[in-house]
Formats: sequence, C-alpha cells, structure tokens
Amino acid sequence: MKGILFSFFGGAFITLQGVANSRISQDIGTWQAAMITQFTGFLVAFIILLFIRDGNWQSFKQVNPIYMISGALGAIVIFSDITAIQQIGATLTISILMIAQLSLTFIIEIKGWFGVVKQKMKLPQFIGMGMMILGVVILGF
Amino acid sequence: MITGLLFATVAGLLVSLQNIFNSKVNERSGTWTTTTLVLGLGFLASLIMGLLFEGKEQFSLGNTEIWYWFAGLIGVGVVICLVNGIKLLDPTYAISIALTSQVGFALLFDSFGWLGLEKVPFTVNKLIGVLVIVAGIYVFKLSGGRKENESEQSCT
Repeated sequence: MKGILFSFFGGAFITLQGVANSRISQDIGTWQAAMITQFTGFLVAFIILLFIRDGNWQSFKQVNPIYMISGALGAIVIFSDITAIQQIGATLTISILMIAQLSLTFIIEIKGWFGVVKQKMKLPQFIGMGMMILGVVILGF
Repeated sequence: MITGLLFATVAGLLVSLQNIFNSKVNERSGTWTTTTLVLGLGFLASLIMGLLFEGKEQFSLGNTEIWYWFAGLIGVGVVICLVNGIKLLDPTYAISIALTSQVGFALLFDSFGWLGLEKVPFTVNKLIGVLVIVAGIYVFKLSGGRKENESEQSCT
C-alpha cells in the first residue's frame, strides 16, 4: 500500500512540476524558470546528500563522462515541457511525452544500446503503444 | 499546435536518454549524489542557454512570488516518491502507477485550469482518451514478462 502511494504521488508531482514551471515562466521567462527551479532543487538535494552521503565524488571517476553530463539535458527538457504545456495543455503534452519516452527506451532496450540489458520485442508492447497513440488521437479530437 | 507536439516529443526523447544515463551514474554512486549532480548541471545549462538567448535578461526575474523559490522542491519530492515506490513494489508496477497518475492529474489540471493553465473543458472524449492511454500503459508494461531495467523513472 505504501509503495502504491509513493508511486502515485511520484507521478502526481511530475505533472505538478511541469504545470508549476509553466506558471512560473509566465512571470519570469522560460529559461529563468528552468534556472531557478533546478537551482533550488539542487540546493535541497545537496543538503540531503550531506546527511545521507550515498556516494562520493571519487565514484564518478568510474562513470563514462557522457552519462554524467546528461543532467544538462534537463534544461532542454524543462524548456520543451513548459513550451508544450503552454501550447497544447498538460494532458496532451504529458501523453505525447510519455509515448516518446517509452518508445525510445523500448528501442534502446531492443538494441541493447548504452550497455542496457537487451530485451526481446514482444507483441503486447506494440499493442500497448498503439493503444496509447490511439488515446492521444481521441484526446486531440 | 504542431510546435507543441514537437516540443513534447523532444522532451520525451530526452527524458528517456536522461533516465538511462542517470541510472548508469546511479549504479556507481547513490540516489542523492546522482540527483545533486543532475540538478546542478541542469541549473548550469539553463543559465548558459538563458544567457545565450536572452543575455542579461536572464537575471531580470520580474515579479517573482515566494512560492516560485520552493517549486524546485517538487523535483526532490519526485525522486523520494519514485525511489521508495520502486523499492517497495516491483519496478514495473511502480512505474505503471506513476505514469497513470501523471496522465490523470494532467487531465485534472487542464479541466480546472489550475495554476494559470488555459482551461480545457472536460469532455467524455478526454476521459475516454485518457482511459485508453492508461490501458495502453498497462498492456505495454505488464504483459510479456519483460525485465525492468529500472531506467524509466523520471527524475527531471
């Protein structure tokens, strides 16, 4: 039950975050909104890190630098998310974002790119994807 | 309309890449080390992009309300919730539930026009659309016995 609640609120917060960013950007601009929300998030995560210390900077030496700098992609993700929400609303934005995300992850898993555990292509995944796209089409009309 | 669709697609593709890369960093360090790094780099990148596109304007924040400075905490809440959800449940279930509540809340926010969103009137069409998407999520996630890479949690 606790796990269900955590997962439920995790999803709710992702949506809230997109909508809140979009609201903030109306007043201060989109790059500015991305900047201050990530800055305050960074500060709080850093404070938590000081208490929990679940890794050290040494450990980063073992990680491919390309994987490490991917955090910078967050700027473009937030910019795109805000712009899309303002143009087509939260429901369509999140549905399309989700389809794009699941599709690319699916392709990466089939191909085993980036050292990800290879997965087999199965019919249910194609049916599921088709249903999600159908749902977006229904939403759009 | 088309630009909105394109931006949403770009965001989704990048979230996918970012989650896979973040999980690679996570394997070697921990959740909070990874989260701190990701948010710190995201902040720097936003600052640089803002300076490139808008120059000094990047620092003229206009009228901010106090809560703007706390909105970043939502991202920390996302990490706490998803990490615990995945720990307590099977990752596949945890992610399916999170995806479902994401779309559900989006419909709620649009329908009520909360937080300055342009109100999109609720229609039966919208409800059916969301239900079909959610059904699709469960068909995609829960059948076929795929092993989860734990690479799909969204932390942005």
